[in-house]
Parts: sequence; C-alpha cells; structure tokens
Amino acid sequence: MSSPELKSDISYTRGLAALALFVVMAAVVIGANFGAGQGYPGDANLTASIGYAMFNVGIEGISGQTLVDSEGFLVAFEIIDLVLVAALAGAVLLARRERSESVTAMLADGGRELKRTIRGDSSNDDTADRAHDGGDQ
Amino acid sequence: MVPPQWYLLLATAVFCIGVLGILTRRNALIFLMSVELMLNAANINLVYFSQFWGNVTGQTFSLFTLALAAAEVAIGIGIILVLYRNFDDVDVTKAVTMRW
Repeated sequence: MSSPELKSDISYTRGLAALALFVVMAAVVIGANFGAGQGYPGDANLTASIGYAMFNVGIEGISGQTLVDSEGFLVAFEIIDLVLVAALAGAVLLARRERSESVTAMLADGGRELKRTIRGDSSNDDTADRAHDGGDQ
Repeated sequence: MVPPQWYLLLATAVFCIGVLGILTRRNALIFLMSVELMLNAANINLVYFSQFWGNVTGQTFSLFTLALAAAEVAIGIGIILVLYRNFDDVDVTKAVTMRW
C-alpha cells in the first residue's frame, strides 16, 4: 500500500510566482482602509431577504419581520437557469458513447467507431477493443 | 465585527492556492479543483462585504456564482472524460493538437 506524499515533479518557479502574487495582494489588503462597516440589523431575517431579492419582490410592503435591502436578481436567475440546462445538455452530449457514424462520434470518442467502420473491422475486433479499453472510458 | 483585512487575507490565500494549482499541476481534475478554489475565494469576499455594508446583494450574487461553478464543473468533467477517452490520460499537456 502506498502512502500519500507530496508531489515533487512540479515547477517551483511557477509556484514562486503564485507565492509572489499572494505577497503583493496581501500587502495591498493589509494597507487598505475600508472605513467602518454597518452590519446587518440584529433581528434581520437574511434568508427571507435573499429569497425576496432573488425574485425581485420589493420589501417595502412586507411587515412583521426585519428585512435587508438588496438589488433584484430575477433576470440573473433566469439566465443562470438557461446556463445550467445548457451545461447539463452539454455534459451529456460530451459524456455519452456514440455508436453511430455521426459528428457526435468524432466529438465524444475521437471517431474510434467511425475509423473502425471505415477500416471494415469485424464485430469481434470491436468487442476485443472494448475489452482492451477496460470498459471505463 | 472581524476587520475586513482578515477575510480578504483568507480570500487571497485561497485564490493563490488555486493559482498555484493551475500553474504547477498538469492533471485536468486538479485544474478543475483549482478553478473552484479561485471562484470560492471571490465568494468569501462577496459574502463578507455583503455583511460589512448591511446589504444582501453580495450574498445573493454568491449563490449565482455557485450555480455557475456547478455548470462549469459539469462541462469540465465532460471535457475531461473526452480527454481521457482520446489520450488515455488526464494530463493537459498531452492535448496539444486540435485534431488527432
């Protein structure tokens, strides 16, 4: 059994660049003056406030609880909805194993099936190739 | 209230760890994790300054950042899967041609 160990074949120059970035950013942050913050009211209902902000519900007419002001995010909510659906469809398109001679086959598995068809390999070779691949691809 | 400098230092450290991962490693999965670290460093700032100014705009925006990160991971994992299928490895330096 192998034990966890630190990676040693990395580029230390690039690592130093990241460290230098941290030093510069930390120096700027420590030297900055942000004034006095105001914070939330003690009895503020933050969860409800976020919910109202997300759907552009104005908090003026809502009584009975202390709410915190915010901008509206309804448009952003709809856009992120579309982005998530597109990402889901894209992920499925990339991940599925295409067995036909389509453009998607070229995209998803490098056209292995297509090449195999063009070469005219038999189905036995196809099965052997899949077994060789380990079935995890 | 904790001074903003501490939160900013934390966010800076998390961000720089992400940059370090991207600059030094070649594994695509580590790349993806490093990008997530950088995104979450921004979230720390958004949430803290939301509280600092007594306004929930930053907190709400950070929720959208998380959703965007989820979408990015979904596509990223798909790309890594294709990378592994075609190169039998997840080393990003091996994929240097547009066609193979």
